[in-house]
Amino acid sequence: MANELLFFMEVLVGGLLAGTMYSLVALGFVLIFKASATFNFSQGAMVFFSVLAFCGFMQDFNIPFVLAFILAAFLMVVVGLCTERLVLRPLMNASEDTVLMATIGLGYVLEGLAQAAWGVEVRRLDLGIGDFPVPWIADNLKLFISALDITAGLVAAIMIIGLFLLFKYTKIGLGLRAVADDAGAASSIGIPLKHIMLLVWSAAGVVALVAGCMWGARAGVQFALVDLALKALPVLIIGGFSSIPGAIIGGLIIGAVEKILEVYIGPFFGGAIEGWAPYVLAIFFLLYRPEGLFGEKIIRRV
Amino acid sequence: MSNNSANILDIKNIEVRYDNVILALHDVSLKVPKGKVVALLGANGAGKSTTLKAVSTMLASERGKVTNGSIEYDGNAIDKQTPSQMVGLGMVQVLEGRRCFGHLTVEENIISGAYSRKLSKGDINQELEKIYTYFIRLKERRKSQAAFTSGGEQQMIAVARAMMAKPKMLLLDEPTMGLAPQLVAEIFNIVKELNTKEGVSILLAEQNTNVALKNSDYGYIIETGRVMLDGTAESLLNDDKVKELYLGISKKGRKNFRDVLKEESLKKRSN
Repeated sequence: MANELLFFMEVLVGGLLAGTMYSLVALGFVLIFKASATFNFSQGAMVFFSVLAFCGFMQDFNIPFVLAFILAAFLMVVVGLCTERLVLRPLMNASEDTVLMATIGLGYVLEGLAQAAWGVEVRRLDLGIGDFPVPWIADNLKLFISALDITAGLVAAIMIIGLFLLFKYTKIGLGLRAVADDAGAASSIGIPLKHIMLLVWSAAGVVALVAGCMWGARAGVQFALVDLALKALPVLIIGGFSSIPGAIIGGLIIGAVEKILEVYIGPFFGGAIEGWAPYVLAIFFLLYRPEGLFGEKIIRRV
Repeated sequence: MSNNSANILDIKNIEVRYDNVILALHDVSLKVPKGKVVALLGANGAGKSTTLKAVSTMLASERGKVTNGSIEYDGNAIDKQTPSQMVGLGMVQVLEGRRCFGHLTVEENIISGAYSRKLSKGDINQELEKIYTYFIRLKERRKSQAAFTSGGEQQMIAVARAMMAKPKMLLLDEPTMGLAPQLVAEIFNIVKELNTKEGVSILLAEQNTNVALKNSDYGYIIETGRVMLDGTAESLLNDDKVKELYLGISKKGRKNFRDVLKEESLKKRSN
């Protein structure tokens, strides 16, 4: 009995920590959705682009780890700058659907650029953190929990606290929250939308880099990262598209639920249900609580 | 930017189209003298908001465009400026329907108005205190989320937020929409105070003709995108046609301005 409970705990904690990796990807989506009410389809490509560049800097140019990370982060700011200038500004007064389509195109451009610059083979990313159980926890709590999962959890927590402080206490953060509430009113009092766009795209780029590092260390830096990022979709549907806490909690729920379902119900379906179980959960949310757990309630007058 | 002319805003014969097709303003000319309050009156769809948005350059975001005529603000032509540039030049619009940032606190809303200015924390607090002297109600509610304040308070937030940008000129779009008469009076008192004490020139779009004229120096009445009548606030308040059409002192049913003018010309002819 005790063993079974311990096993359940292990599945749960492992799932929650793995969920923070989804949260990290979802964070990038939320940032952009807040500012432009658009689902950024290129977020997955940004994850791939940023982490491939990071690997490239380290492995092809022998740039040390920290410097390579800073360079890659800087590169993502440049990508944000170019996106604002070349894609968003010309579409300033276009409809949200047009911007949505533009992000799909942007995704292809980023994927292509990344592979043109750094090649198409799968790269190994060694963060110096193994994807194996931490001995100390295994000995003392009898839980087998991966060191990489714990790191991802910590990194996600730091990112969230950082973003929270940025939004709550800085001038540009205030500007972003104002734009998220009412872009028209924000521009009527002189908040320049282009600065806000630049901020969110750069921040989303850096978040993509961090998420990419975590995923890359686990699954290898490869093209599949682009699709993996779409796992963030059910996370956002559950958490709410415009809420940072929602992205975090949505990620945790998806992580925990998919692992628990896989272990306890998976055998009845022949296993491998974690690939689709989150989407089923998302469908239930769409049916019964379409704004998600933390999203703004959608009110329409009929 | 030296401007010796007596008008801070001079709109000459503008025509505005949306989507290059829909003609919203046919021919609107109006002047706002420095330090004065000018009312722009008319029914729904007359073109009041469009006129204000043409001035603040917010038309572009609604796919509207000034296709003819000119707008001069503080001696310079308004042409390719962005809304945030206009705010930098001291022209701030308070949009119709208040448009507060619902998830921000009252105080954060007001502070956001100072975004375009480079102020230190201390300066911002000083400005805030000054603003609160006009909006005493808001000081009590400074920590509440704006979405949970009343309609009147939200209107005050919107005006206070605009004042944080230190405007030379305010464009107010229907500031009393949906407010109880007592609040209407309170809002207008504040507007009047800002005008006299801070020297802000004001262009005010209103449907509330009576109150608006009583608190203005000059008035324009527009209908279907054209200026139908203008004059000092006093003369408009005493004008029989205005009385009949907009102040509800009418013997017959509702009419529009063109009907009245037609009737008059018929009368003249029959005489």
